[in-house]
Amino acid sequence: METVDFSQPIRQSSKGIIIIFAFNAYKFFKRFFVIFIAFGVSLARKKTFATLSPQSITLIIIGILIVLLIVAVLKYLNFKFYLSKDDFHLSTGIINKDNTIIPKSKIQNVYIKQNFLQQIINVVSLNIETAGDNKSEISIKALDKPTALQLKKELFNKSNISEALHTAIETKNIFFKVSLKRLFLEGVSQNHLRSFAVIASFVFGLYYEFKDYFRSLKLKQHVEEIIHLDEESILNIIILNSVFILFAVLISLLFSVLKTVVTNFNLEVVETQKTIEINKGLFNKVSLSLTPSRIQNIVIKTNRIKRYFGLHTLSVKQAMVNVKQRKNFVIIALEKEQLKHLVDKLLTNYTSDLKALKPKWYYKRILVIDMLVLALIINVSGFFIFGNMMWFINIAFIIFSILYVQITYRKSYYKIDDEFITIGSGFIDTTTNILEIHKIQAVKLKQTIFQKRRQISSVIITTASKAVKIPYVSEADAKSICDYLLFKVESQDRDWM
Amino acid sequence: MFINQQIETDTLPKISSVELKPISKNYFKIIILNKAFVYAVFLSILIAGKFAIKKEAFQDNFVYIVTIVVVGLILNFVLARLAFKKRKYAIRDKDVIYSKGLIVNSITTVPISRIQHIEESRSWLARKLNLATLKIFTAGESGSDLKIDGLPLEEAKQINDFLSTRVNGNS
Repeated sequence: METVDFSQPIRQSSKGIIIIFAFNAYKFFKRFFVIFIAFGVSLARKKTFATLSPQSITLIIIGILIVLLIVAVLKYLNFKFYLSKDDFHLSTGIINKDNTIIPKSKIQNVYIKQNFLQQIINVVSLNIETAGDNKSEISIKALDKPTALQLKKELFNKSNISEALHTAIETKNIFFKVSLKRLFLEGVSQNHLRSFAVIASFVFGLYYEFKDYFRSLKLKQHVEEIIHLDEESILNIIILNSVFILFAVLISLLFSVLKTVVTNFNLEVVETQKTIEINKGLFNKVSLSLTPSRIQNIVIKTNRIKRYFGLHTLSVKQAMVNVKQRKNFVIIALEKEQLKHLVDKLLTNYTSDLKALKPKWYYKRILVIDMLVLALIINVSGFFIFGNMMWFINIAFIIFSILYVQITYRKSYYKIDDEFITIGSGFIDTTTNILEIHKIQAVKLKQTIFQKRRQISSVIITTASKAVKIPYVSEADAKSICDYLLFKVESQDRDWM
Repeated sequence: MFINQQIETDTLPKISSVELKPISKNYFKIIILNKAFVYAVFLSILIAGKFAIKKEAFQDNFVYIVTIVVVGLILNFVLARLAFKKRKYAIRDKDVIYSKGLIVNSITTVPISRIQHIEESRSWLARKLNLATLKIFTAGESGSDLKIDGLPLEEAKQINDFLSTRVNGNS
């Protein structure tokens, strides 16, 4: 492997011009998307737009592209970075020159990413993240891969301890690699309600944007012609509805599977001595590393179908991570043993064989009240929309409510030992939340006036990335949990990060 | 060597045995003024409605509407008064405790070692009444930050000093 000298100011790979150009063009077209649509529509109708002929419009577009290209070249020429002993230096800007210096010790995370275009021309982008707000992130858009890896390594090399660490980190071990089949299963067994909601909002958004266009298509009349709604027989309505539901389910299923496969394609978990690396993605390749000391919460999710296939999802919540990256720290389709191994690696000495403590019965009452409120909303709004027809829905709703209350109560528990808190919850999903006691930021006792009479209270535990709740235990228990956790946090002099 | 002593939960320092200190009574004046302003806006909207809306149904039931609104406001005020008594705080050697809320009561405890920074702020009214607000920020979710309103200025300064030295001393 040829080595690059980072101590002299260097530019990124010359392919960077293409990336910058494409990126700017994409941003430009995205911003003026609506105008372009208007262009297209009026061009198709009248062959002109605002007294401009098609020729001059193409000229304008070419002109814009040339300007964007020049900007890209200038940006590329002015983008220089180098490493000194302790700092990373970066100078950017065509007219306004920016000079950024980041001390190596303040770097929190280095990601290597590769989107679709970058895959074609074979470069990667390297993002450097520091603690603080989102804007402090630095992104080098085009580096060839060996250079990026070398830079990443040098960024993590603190000047004085470089040699000792070098040999230790080399032992890499690809611990887990997902197969396409398991990805597919994972996609099928997802919570389709959520994908349905995403699709529905997307379709409504589109419909709203192109309302007039759809109206001119007279879609409604077409549908009515196909199904002969004018006969108004109940059978037709049922068929129409079931076809629609089937269609929606199918689309959601397809969407879930596609989304899972695309975002997690070639998911790979690499174990090194200290950290765990995740590589994944089809169009957008990401590579991230997890440092155990920065982990705040660990959430394990599975559901009945997934458990049958042996699929577990592990998401890791880290402190000081930019919002966009947060959802990437998820490893899906893990076997039970693999999950256990990873949890052991991330949390030393974690055991789950403790006696699970249950919330009080009062929790069921709260769940019932939730359901009653929901029933009221459904019934009132249903009555006004559909009239007396809809009372039957309550039969299904009552069954659903009973299941909801029973299952949610059954799945909720908490375990506390010397170092960890484990909280279980979920209705369709089975969720397990694990956090280390010394990472607690604050503890809160919460009690409503009604709970006070029954001596019931909840404990809310906050870490740097998430707040979890031990619901509805007896007041005495809640207080002793609180006392115990505070004692633990305050008596040990351990840092939370 | 690793020692793992058993912990008797009964002997741990207890939150329930801490004597929480109520915040300054003067702060209630600020609450009254704030509330009065909101109430005035409500009532003036009602009165404006009396002249602007010409509908029969509204004009006939105007007295009832006013009564409902006034009863609501009085209830709101009484609740605020009762809830005010619940605003209490305590500083322990290792943590800060703040309790508030009548209908939903919460007691939040933040260990001093987890405090990121402290802010002391004083509104115009608070300056007149010699009060201060102490905000204590942690690295946690926004829900875990403490905001103690209506501390006497002297006390706020003392607490601020104490906590600041503690926070800086630890790191």
